[in-house]
Amino acid sequence: MWTHLQIELYKIFRRPRTYLAFAAITALIAVIQVGLFMDGKEYTEFVMADFEGSFSVDGKILNGYFICYVILQLLLVHVPLLIALIAADMISGEANMGTLRVLLTKPHSRSAIVLAKFMASVVYTLLLLIWIAVLGLFVSMWVFGTDDLFLMKSSYVVIVKESDVFWRYAGAFCFAALSMVTVAALGFFLSFFAENSIGPIVATMSVIIVATILSTMNIPIFNTIKPFLFTTHMITWKEFFDFKVNDANEAIIGSIQNPDKIIRSSLVLVAHIIAFVGAAVLVFRKKDILS
Amino acid sequence: MQDIVKVAHLTKRFNQLTAVNDLSFTVRSGDVYGFLGQNGAGKSTSIRMLLTLITPTEGDIEFFGMSLNRHRKEILQQVGAVIEKPDVYKYLSAYDNLKLFARLSGMHPSRAVLMNQLEMVGLAGRANDPVKTFSQGMKQRLGIAIALVHNPGLIVLDEPTNGLDPQGIADIRNLILFLSREKKKTIIVSSHLLNEIEQIATRMLIIDKGCKLVEGATSELLNSTQVVLQLNTANNSQTLKILQGSSWADRLKPMRDGQLILGLNRNEIPELNRFLVGMQVEVLLLQPRNNLEDYFLQITAGKQHVDAFTN
Repeated sequence: MWTHLQIELYKIFRRPRTYLAFAAITALIAVIQVGLFMDGKEYTEFVMADFEGSFSVDGKILNGYFICYVILQLLLVHVPLLIALIAADMISGEANMGTLRVLLTKPHSRSAIVLAKFMASVVYTLLLLIWIAVLGLFVSMWVFGTDDLFLMKSSYVVIVKESDVFWRYAGAFCFAALSMVTVAALGFFLSFFAENSIGPIVATMSVIIVATILSTMNIPIFNTIKPFLFTTHMITWKEFFDFKVNDANEAIIGSIQNPDKIIRSSLVLVAHIIAFVGAAVLVFRKKDILS
Repeated sequence: MQDIVKVAHLTKRFNQLTAVNDLSFTVRSGDVYGFLGQNGAGKSTSIRMLLTLITPTEGDIEFFGMSLNRHRKEILQQVGAVIEKPDVYKYLSAYDNLKLFARLSGMHPSRAVLMNQLEMVGLAGRANDPVKTFSQGMKQRLGIAIALVHNPGLIVLDEPTNGLDPQGIADIRNLILFLSREKKKTIIVSSHLLNEIEQIATRMLIIDKGCKLVEGATSELLNSTQVVLQLNTANNSQTLKILQGSSWADRLKPMRDGQLILGLNRNEIPELNRFLVGMQVEVLLLQPRNNLEDYFLQITAGKQHVDAFTN
């Protein structure tokens, strides 16, 4: 299994396509950072316009933590495409190249091959998330400095103390990783049904788009299925930035307002991952290789 | 001689289509076993079943006395294969491909061993070049190097000369003979090119529409007393009319390349010659054809199907 995983990672990272995703992430984050560095003042004034006169803010709103939050909000919508580029190609790409049949004549069980390939997709996904964290969080902290995190929600404002922010980002990135691994599992599963990678990549994105629409539309007929859609739970990373308050309406440092929601969402995502990968193993074990 | 592969009543159905039907055959140690049939005869499906790429609907497959169902891993450790096209990772070099597949086979060969392998297939000079720059023949040879990298006892080559130029075909033929004679490998080689198999196979199986037509030693099968005779005369049209009006009419086969073809017993040839001379026919050529193409012609009844096979 370990040898297989090493070989799969070797194949992934010897392909130029793999680095496109890292280059795209770098470019996107750089655009956001440069934009906010140049015109951040106007941006925060625009965002704060609704609160003008209600209260004044001391300190630096446009700090590294705030930039990272903006980046996460924008990027986590687009990262699934970059993950699908690799995950949805894992089997279909090999079938297209003709290497799948060579691979399967080697003395390994099909289940071991599937699991090694999925693990390689997970490693790629995690590296992509780590790269986002390095650029989005650490570079932003270095360029913009640090201060309290000021977040504007739909009907209220959240100010997270500087000393209380970093662990929340750690949690948010871990949760985002779980969400993206779910996307990888979906793409991976769909890659078993085609002999070129375009179909599974488009199918993965289509499923995500449709499920996201169903998750966000507030129509009664869809409300019953919403809790079971993985897209409903992919944005739960934001829960790490809502905290409990005491009787004096002061933030309780180190608290999360709704930890049960994070646990529930995590379980739903894990269930999806198990279902997608389990189905992939079952399909592949019985599949006739005709490519 | 030890049986290396034993296939019994192998059948594969895809919905309504029966691709392979009750196929049984045996490959013995040291054989270069020719697996012959026209395109769509069921060769690739059979070979894919041998390599566990396709699950048989019915039948049993044994390698080295072990059931393929129960001992897949042990068996595949002793088998090397190139199935149809020699597909490898085009963005990697020949050396990297070989190393990768060696590791997949559970081997950790040194650079010297891998380079020796590439040397054997004539690719040592291109070891570090990306495979995407290789010709089809070079890819085929790399495919064979990959099939051999874990030193298997049995090598399965499915249509190894497909898409190759005459030089590439000769290279692969020589490589197969070298592996059989010098390295003592047992080889199964499938092809629809009859003359290729004729030159290398020690034993052969001919299949058609998924069914076995015949199996045996190539030399025995080709030394049948029944021969296909090629006849060329000064006026073949006139000769054809003479033969059609004689007792030789039922021996006539469809003409090929403007020449008359007859199927008859070897000892009838002098008698035919005497008849033709007696009929004032100017005989230019009277030659028994003793190759697989004609053998196939003898054992199959469908003439159209033979024409498709030989074209």
